Amino acid sequence: MGVPGPEPSDERLAASAAAGDEPAFEKLLQRYQARAYRLCYRLLGPGGDPQDAVQEAFLQVFRKLPSFRGESRFATWLYRIVTNAALMQRRSRGRRPAESLEGCLPRFDASGTHLATPDELQAAARVEELLDRRTLAEKALEGIERLPDAYRAAFVLRDLEELSTAEVADLMGLEPAAVRQRVHRARLMLRGYLGELAGVKR
Amino acid sequence: MTTCASGVERLADYLEGVLSADTRAELEAHLRGCARCTAFVASYRATPAILRLATSVDPPAALAGSLRRRVRRDL
Repeated sequence: MGVPGPEPSDERLAASAAAGDEPAFEKLLQRYQARAYRLCYRLLGPGGDPQDAVQEAFLQVFRKLPSFRGESRFATWLYRIVTNAALMQRRSRGRRPAESLEGCLPRFDASGTHLATPDELQAAARVEELLDRRTLAEKALEGIERLPDAYRAAFVLRDLEELSTAEVADLMGLEPAAVRQRVHRARLMLRGYLGELAGVKR
Repeated sequence: MTTCASGVERLADYLEGVLSADTRAELEAHLRGCARCTAFVASYRATPAILRLATSVDPPAALAGSLRRRVRRDL
């Protein structure tokens, strides 16, 4: 038996798949289907259909492969298509008004000091001990859904999918500073939201 | 002077290492002396990981098959 060679890079597989090599496309599917599914699940929220969004996304990936020029990493290029497919589904599904998380932002007194006590401020970090896994899974998805649209994708890509700020900026067509700002606002809101789940009163 | 409020506004930049050395030192001095901010930073840092873990779903077993059928049908 021969020693297996190194795994071909995404970019190489993409070039082969674009030239009609079906096993190469199959390999890209295998590499990315689970990640694409998770990304759609997180972006779509409760009641979404991540499976359908992933299917739409991979159809587009296949169709657009010949135009992939390697200006971004293949993963970034693919994430952009998957993100857009999820956003399209959100749009077509119509908007369900959800209570905003604005009220979960930290509050300060006139001198700029936190109003909450250290114990209250730390409560969010304890939520995993207080809620069972299933409840936390539901509440987590609900919290992400309640983020303002402008923050949701940036937060999901940066903090949940763990892309770099530069990659998210490239993918979303934003400056890195704008990505940091959106992610920051989302973290502040979700931190407060987790604190409420852990019993902190507004 | 760094307050809790101004410190909070710089937290993402701080954690990503893009603050100037002066601003960073000022923020760290505030954090050392402020129990509230220390608690706040701990929960701010914990938030992404909690949500990441809570939403780390596996795709349904049927995904792979349905994906291939759809690609074959629609291309």
